[in-house]
Amino acid sequence: MGTTASQLSKESLSEYQELTFLTKQEILLAHKRFTELLEKHEKQQIDARAPMGRITTLPELKSNPFKERICQVFSTSEQKDGSLTFEDFLDLLSAFSDSATLEIKSHYAFRIFDFDDDGTLDCADLEKLVNCLTGETNDAKLSSTEMKQLISNILEESDIDKDGTVNLSEFQHVISRSPDFVSSFKIVL
Amino acid sequence: MYILCKGYLIHVYLIILLYIVYFKLLGNCEGILSCCNIISLLYVLHREVQQMRSPAFSRDVSWRGRQMLRKLRNKCKEFLYFFSLWRKSVQMIGGNFGGGVQSYFVFLRFLVVLNFVSFFLIAGFVLIPTFCLLCFIFSNPDECKVYEVKNTTEIYQYLLDFLSGTGFMEYSYLFYGYYNITEMPNRDFFYNIPLAYILTAVFYFAFCLICMITRSVPRLSTGVSSYSMIVFTGWDYSCLGDRATKLKQKNILYQLQVDLEEESRKRHEADLSTSKKVILYSLRVLMTFLSFGFIGGAFYGIYVTTQFSQVNDVKQGILGFIIQYLPSMVITAGNFVVPLLCDKIALVEQYSPSTTIILALLRAVFLRLVSLGVLLYTLWSQITCYPDELKGNCTLCEYNNNEFQCWETRVGQEMYKLTMFDLLINVAVFLLVEFPRRLVVDNCSCKPVQWVGRQEFVVPSNVLGLVYGQTVVWVGALFCPLLPAINTLKFVILFYCKKITLFQNCRPALRTFRSTTSTFFFLVVLLFGWGLATVVLIYSLSEIRPSYGCGPFHSSSTMWSTVPDSFYNLSNVTQEFLFFVGSQAFSIPLFALSMCVTSQYAICVMMTCILNSPYCAFHGVILCLSSPWQCGDVLCRSFSNCLWEKHCTAKSSA
Repeated sequence: MGTTASQLSKESLSEYQELTFLTKQEILLAHKRFTELLEKHEKQQIDARAPMGRITTLPELKSNPFKERICQVFSTSEQKDGSLTFEDFLDLLSAFSDSATLEIKSHYAFRIFDFDDDGTLDCADLEKLVNCLTGETNDAKLSSTEMKQLISNILEESDIDKDGTVNLSEFQHVISRSPDFVSSFKIVL
Repeated sequence: MYILCKGYLIHVYLIILLYIVYFKLLGNCEGILSCCNIISLLYVLHREVQQMRSPAFSRDVSWRGRQMLRKLRNKCKEFLYFFSLWRKSVQMIGGNFGGGVQSYFVFLRFLVVLNFVSFFLIAGFVLIPTFCLLCFIFSNPDECKVYEVKNTTEIYQYLLDFLSGTGFMEYSYLFYGYYNITEMPNRDFFYNIPLAYILTAVFYFAFCLICMITRSVPRLSTGVSSYSMIVFTGWDYSCLGDRATKLKQKNILYQLQVDLEEESRKRHEADLSTSKKVILYSLRVLMTFLSFGFIGGAFYGIYVTTQFSQVNDVKQGILGFIIQYLPSMVITAGNFVVPLLCDKIALVEQYSPSTTIILALLRAVFLRLVSLGVLLYTLWSQITCYPDELKGNCTLCEYNNNEFQCWETRVGQEMYKLTMFDLLINVAVFLLVEFPRRLVVDNCSCKPVQWVGRQEFVVPSNVLGLVYGQTVVWVGALFCPLLPAINTLKFVILFYCKKITLFQNCRPALRTFRSTTSTFFFLVVLLFGWGLATVVLIYSLSEIRPSYGCGPFHSSSTMWSTVPDSFYNLSNVTQEFLFFVGSQAFSIPLFALSMCVTSQYAICVMMTCILNSPYCAFHGVILCLSSPWQCGDVLCRSFSNCLWEKHCTAKSSA
């Protein structure tokens, strides 16, 4: 079921098409771009892994503030180093594609925002999230009082069971009210 | 998709059902009312039940249908996005100065596109046909038909004429007076220029209204974006490149800061002690009266100046030029000074930034538009000799022939002068005030200069400048057909001037305001201007006698009378077809069907209203076609007649 040398077999192609939201052209393009990231000797390997450093040089991910988190979430490596196989890469593109459903996208968005991987968004996660969103440069930053106020407002609005953290269902409840989420949670090669 | 089609079919069936019911119960008015109410309630209930009962599969099917529609819409949006004018500039402005300032430039871009498209409308239906056809020479010269144009002699006169539309510019495509063609020399090809002129003007106004409404309605329904929405859904993952990313980050930062500041302000106000609250509210009331006082004083000044300028119009040369431009100068001075004062007042009132912007807009728009209205009123009273002392001049030709040989061109010239003067002032301020101010502030470090500091980009007064300019163009478009094209150029020049001044001379705002509500209010304020222009248009079309000496309407009693005359000149078949289209049997179902596509619940309510007084609507529409000015009281009279009739028939059938 793994990738062969430098070309996808017909069976793998149709299999990937069944398992993901991507079309045939998108899968072929993804394969081409992924093999460009691999070293020469790795190209012949089955299930080769591209390290996070090289994945984040892709122009679509290069300036995304969440690029490391995205790699971490979709990585299946045991060392948790964010390296991706081709199938992980397809999973990534599938979740960020046009045809993925709201449930899939909100599920992955939650995992990306969960910086400490504990299954809930607590104050530390939210603070890191806001810092990623606003850029954290020295001249334009939220002051610490503003940040505290913002985090308490977010928890007040979305924490329904009042446990001080936002879990997946509360997160999805907020996302479902936004009409633009599906079209903005999109990465296309 | 099947489920979607089935849903719409139900709407159609219900509308047809309602219609049949109406015709069956034609004599029984009360029966219709109760029937319609019951049917609309039943329909709404049916819809709710249907939505609850639909299985997951059909929901999935309809979800796929919605997905396809959404994809199509996104593709269209991307296509238009590619053609969007000045996209990068507006993005840069938004990133560096916040959403508030960006909304001004988006509004300016909208006006440029609106004027540009209107120019094509006018050029296609009026300019090009006139250009292609030959001019027709007047027959039977009369005292009223005399139209003498002053000849341009000296060199400096050329410049003055260019700026005020007199001399060599007066008898040209620019003004109404040039479009003289009423009859065609060639019988085979018929193009009714007067009718085209009027209908183009009417459609131009309708087109602008539709553009404004379609632009403002989405803004109304975006809903409140709470903090969690901004943080969880605010990022755009398809953002490419470092620059775009930084801009997006700055935008989000500004948004969050605006909301947080408004919230802390509200909390601070709620925490005030009672005595402080009382002081604050009484101060606010006092400041409101003060602002009305300023505005009233400005009005009086404009009225006096306009009277003076009209009376002393005969002087020549530079003095004559100054007197001609005096009303414009006073209006512009008022428009500079009063908003400054209102800004100082706003500091005392201490509203939140968004509310301050809205109040500043509403106060200043009152001033700007009514000062323009005073000018127009004075002009029109001169033309029609409204105060009785000048009555002698109007008895011969039904308008003031001594002063206004071609009054339409004269009105067009006034609007042209206002537009040019506005542009000149903006460019002059840009070159002579803003750049020197920055040079002085940067190079001189003495205390008072640093206290004044670099200027800040003030959005409300700039937006009002745009609304004022656009209103002037709308008022003048009937009399000066090239005015939208001139306005497009003016706004393009203004865009670049404002952009350069923003980046070179302005400091970033200390606080920014929410752009969604402000954009909606910009359009509301523009709608006020449109309303003023429409009043002027209706009055000019239907009440004042067109000039005998110039223009395409010199042989009609009013400009509007061309339309019924042309209508009755059509062949009988065409007349009957048009009557059918306008009648109840066709228009009501068509109207109802078109409402189907837009809103579901509103159909029922509206159908109930329409079916309750169909006679009135139809009767009023036909009467309106013949006399638009009396539309209002005709409608009221016919409506009350209808109700009385219904009451009588109901009583007799009981």
